[in-house]
Amino acid sequence: MITLECNYQKKLGLPGYSSHQFAITLRTEIADLMQVQAESSRLYKLLQEGVDTSIKETGYLPTNGNGNGNAQRNSREPTREKDGWNCSGKQKDLILKIVEEHKLEKAKVEGLAQDRFGKTVKALNKLEASGLIEELLEMTSQSNGRSRFQGRYQRAGAR
Amino acid sequence: MIAAVEPAKVVPEQSQANPIETLQKTVSASRLTTFLQCRLKFYFRYVQQISKPKTPALHVGSVVHLILQAWNMARWRKQEFQLEKFKKLFEEGWKDQPPGINWDGEEAGEKNTAWSVLEMYFAQTPIKATEMPEAVEVPMESDLSKYGLPTLIGVLDLVRAGGRIVDFKSTGKTPDPEDAAHQNEPQMSCYSVLYREATGHQESGRELHHLVKTKTPKLVITELGPMTAAQQVRLFRMMESYVEGLAREDFVPSPGFHCAGCEFFDNCRRWA
Repeated sequence: MITLECNYQKKLGLPGYSSHQFAITLRTEIADLMQVQAESSRLYKLLQEGVDTSIKETGYLPTNGNGNGNAQRNSREPTREKDGWNCSGKQKDLILKIVEEHKLEKAKVEGLAQDRFGKTVKALNKLEASGLIEELLEMTSQSNGRSRFQGRYQRAGAR
Repeated sequence: MIAAVEPAKVVPEQSQANPIETLQKTVSASRLTTFLQCRLKFYFRYVQQISKPKTPALHVGSVVHLILQAWNMARWRKQEFQLEKFKKLFEEGWKDQPPGINWDGEEAGEKNTAWSVLEMYFAQTPIKATEMPEAVEVPMESDLSKYGLPTLIGVLDLVRAGGRIVDFKSTGKTPDPEDAAHQNEPQMSCYSVLYREATGHQESGRELHHLVKTKTPKLVITELGPMTAAQQVRLFRMMESYVEGLAREDFVPSPGFHCAGCEFFDNCRRWA
């Protein structure tokens, strides 16, 4: 006996940036190899019809327009990093690097975060951390002679 | 389809890497809108990286943005508003121009217009001197790989207190609110996605501040609500088209009214 295993699956995009998919797998036995082509054609048609019939039923659709659950995220703060930092790992590393390289007083940097955002450096979200980084770069670039216009135009180029 | 054009002045900024591969990894509002407007223009600008001289309007826009950024930063730093300080910065910014701008004898007039439009803005802006911004000109990114999309990058001009995203535009024509909302939808949706990713909550609204360079300069503010779910879907579909178009190297031209101001008009006419 020869075992023939066929799988047919289809994935469809749905409104609200969601999608659904369905697959059917079927295993059958045939007596000889001469039957493979005819039997696989028959099974393909059978499986396709089966999938197409079922996949028309879309079932639940998200009402928030986003199948990935983003709507629920709107009212909460981003997930905190394990070590208590609220910004991204890259931002954290950059803040620490600037502080270390330019020997900035940590109390001064904390004071800056409190003054601008009313939070500790660790509590800053990504938007706030980005602002703090820009400010630290501006503070430290003055000693490197970086033109304020260069900064503007370089950033504009990245838009 | 690969666009075949004559070799041109190429800026070797990304010459080490394949530009298309780089562009597939990240997308910005300006890359996306250029791609949607005309794929061949996108090809010339971002793939071939053909350098064109800055236009007078672009220089005016850059200097106006520079001063508005300084004004926003001054409020963020709780500094006193000093018009003469901004005027000095304006003079420096105006001089700091790349060679090759074709002023056609109009530089002095353009400079006067640029400063007048700023004076008008300072007089008419609804943003109070004491209003502390939430963010000023901050670069941000949002990893959209879970949607099969590139990382979105961008710089927000201003986020007002309470999470209102503001984008400044300098323009020669008074904008129609509905047209402005429609034409800027991809850009503003990009900013909403970036803001939400960075803060974990939805923006409270979005505003387009058009500084109109008419004889008597004026300010037109178009208020947009927060990005809707449908707008996010539209943005992501546009990004999908961007991703798929780049993969196919689909860089065909889109002739239309927008060609009149295109810096690649001559390159386009020679394209085959």
